Amino acid sequence: MRTALALVVLAVVMFVCLLIGTESVSLKAVFGGVGAQESVNPDYEIFVQVRLPRIILAAIVGAALACSGVVFQALLRNPLADPYILGISSGAGLGVTIAVISGLNWTLWGRSPIAVFAFAGALGTVWLVWFVGRLTGKFHVTGLLLAGVVINAFFSAVIMFLTSIAKAEQVHATIFWLMGNMTEEDFLVLWIGAGCVGGGIVALFYISPQLNALSFGEDDARSMGVNTARTRTIAFGVAAAITAIAVSLSGLIGFVGLVIPHGVRLVFGPDHRQLLPLSSIVGAILLVVADTVARIIVAPAQLPVGVVTAIVGGPFFLVLLVKYSRKVSWLK
Amino acid sequence: MSGIIEVENLSFGYIPQSTILKDISFEVTPGTSLAIAGPNGAGKSTLLNLLCGTLVPKSGTIRIDAAPVESYSTKALAGKVAVVRQEFVPVFGFSVIETVLMARTLYYDPMGFESKADKKIVAEALEMTDTIQFASRPLGSLSGGERQRVLIARALAQDTAILLLDEPTSFLDLKHQVGIYDLLKAAQLERDKTIVTVTHDINLAAQYCDEILLLGADSNYHIGKTKDVFSPEQIEKVFGVRTFAGRVGQEKFFIPLGKFAKDSGQIGNKPEGSQQK
Repeated sequence: MRTALALVVLAVVMFVCLLIGTESVSLKAVFGGVGAQESVNPDYEIFVQVRLPRIILAAIVGAALACSGVVFQALLRNPLADPYILGISSGAGLGVTIAVISGLNWTLWGRSPIAVFAFAGALGTVWLVWFVGRLTGKFHVTGLLLAGVVINAFFSAVIMFLTSIAKAEQVHATIFWLMGNMTEEDFLVLWIGAGCVGGGIVALFYISPQLNALSFGEDDARSMGVNTARTRTIAFGVAAAITAIAVSLSGLIGFVGLVIPHGVRLVFGPDHRQLLPLSSIVGAILLVVADTVARIIVAPAQLPVGVVTAIVGGPFFLVLLVKYSRKVSWLK
Repeated sequence: MSGIIEVENLSFGYIPQSTILKDISFEVTPGTSLAIAGPNGAGKSTLLNLLCGTLVPKSGTIRIDAAPVESYSTKALAGKVAVVRQEFVPVFGFSVIETVLMARTLYYDPMGFESKADKKIVAEALEMTDTIQFASRPLGSLSGGERQRVLIARALAQDTAILLLDEPTSFLDLKHQVGIYDLLKAAQLERDKTIVTVTHDINLAAQYCDEILLLGADSNYHIGKTKDVFSPEQIEKVFGVRTFAGRVGQEKFFIPLGKFAKDSGQIGNKPEGSQQK
């Protein structure tokens, strides 16, 4: 019920954000067809070719990050976990740095090597962390976290080493990419991304009762009839995959994956059957709004959307935290 | 054999070189309660984890309802055995009702939601454990005794024939200790549960449980009716502590005597029943 309502809100927000921008667009003109004297319809161009893909992309990325944030927090039983905690960010960053510095200019299915390298780097790193984590025990949360932190630090050092020997414009290109941006004109890529992320979220929704039980720990979950190994593998694999997709589509956008799950949990409670779909939708809404703000606030220049998510989302989250925290009556 | 739990020649060690449990055999009759007592490190919790399939025996077999534990799928075993582990607070603020409802996870519909029947069972479990009045409060805001009752409610809501508990009264005061044992006895008698409890409290175990499994550190063990297993000599042998044994009505009790206990030299171990005058 709440989920359906949230979906409606998302649709409205996406539509409103389509209308907002530095160029005013009239709906009538968009769908009115090409005028007699013009060969192109500028309103249609802006609406469909410029804004629509951005908004779709922001929704995909926001949903993917918020959803995998929920899953990683549940799996690691750690409220500080976010989608990047197990090395996805540094892995993607390393992929990007290598792609930029080696000056590759081929394309794969129309993608620049940067995105391909980011995707490969992200998934490769998660696999490495998972593999090392497994060596520390059957499913050792601490071992996994430590492996993630150390591999993150190691790759960050490699990135710094590479950027210190790189040319200035290469460094700039790397940093610009890592800051996160929402430019993707190819609708085919967008639909594939949306399909993968949407499918991933549905798959994760189906194991959300098991994620509830897993919050009580491995043994408790198993004695409640949860096949913990299967649940963990699905959750981990799917969450890592949709994060890697998000990262390779838009770069590193912080904050969404950490704070949306907490915000939604504070307001609606920790039941994953509700938390997971709601977080995905709220994440999508937040990122669509944040990207619209990033488009217009310093027009004609544009802010990296990650800056907006943190600046707007941070204070908002603090307000939620104070307002909805379960108060202890004897502590004034 | 006719036990709902049958353990045959069970041995287990965490590392290949050492065995913590050696050649243990016993069975638990349906609808009875068994207490597992013994010193720290004797393998009580280990035995419990073997019974619920968390650990795998090095040798020997454990049968639940006549089938070996390892032959059950996770789901099927969860339909037979519910476990209450030593309590802890989960990271996310699940409420009491959400926690108890989780016991029904394996019966959820394909979309992952509970049925009316699930809700009814959960409501009954809350009722029975007297936790219904704080059903909507987060688990973290409850006292230790209340939280333990919630975890027992969750195990009851799993609707299994067998209930395993690992030191359910460890952190509780006297009233709550008795409350938990009263609750478990009621579950045994009214709902025909078979209950296995790991405990340090030999007096409560003696009072509430039908049989005792006394597990020694050297993998010696004694199982039987409380009165046959518990004697001052036996307890001194297993725990390495002298006790003062007494009897009130039908109930036997033991008071441990430390080095500095007053008059410990004089009282010593009186024969059972000698305190009744």
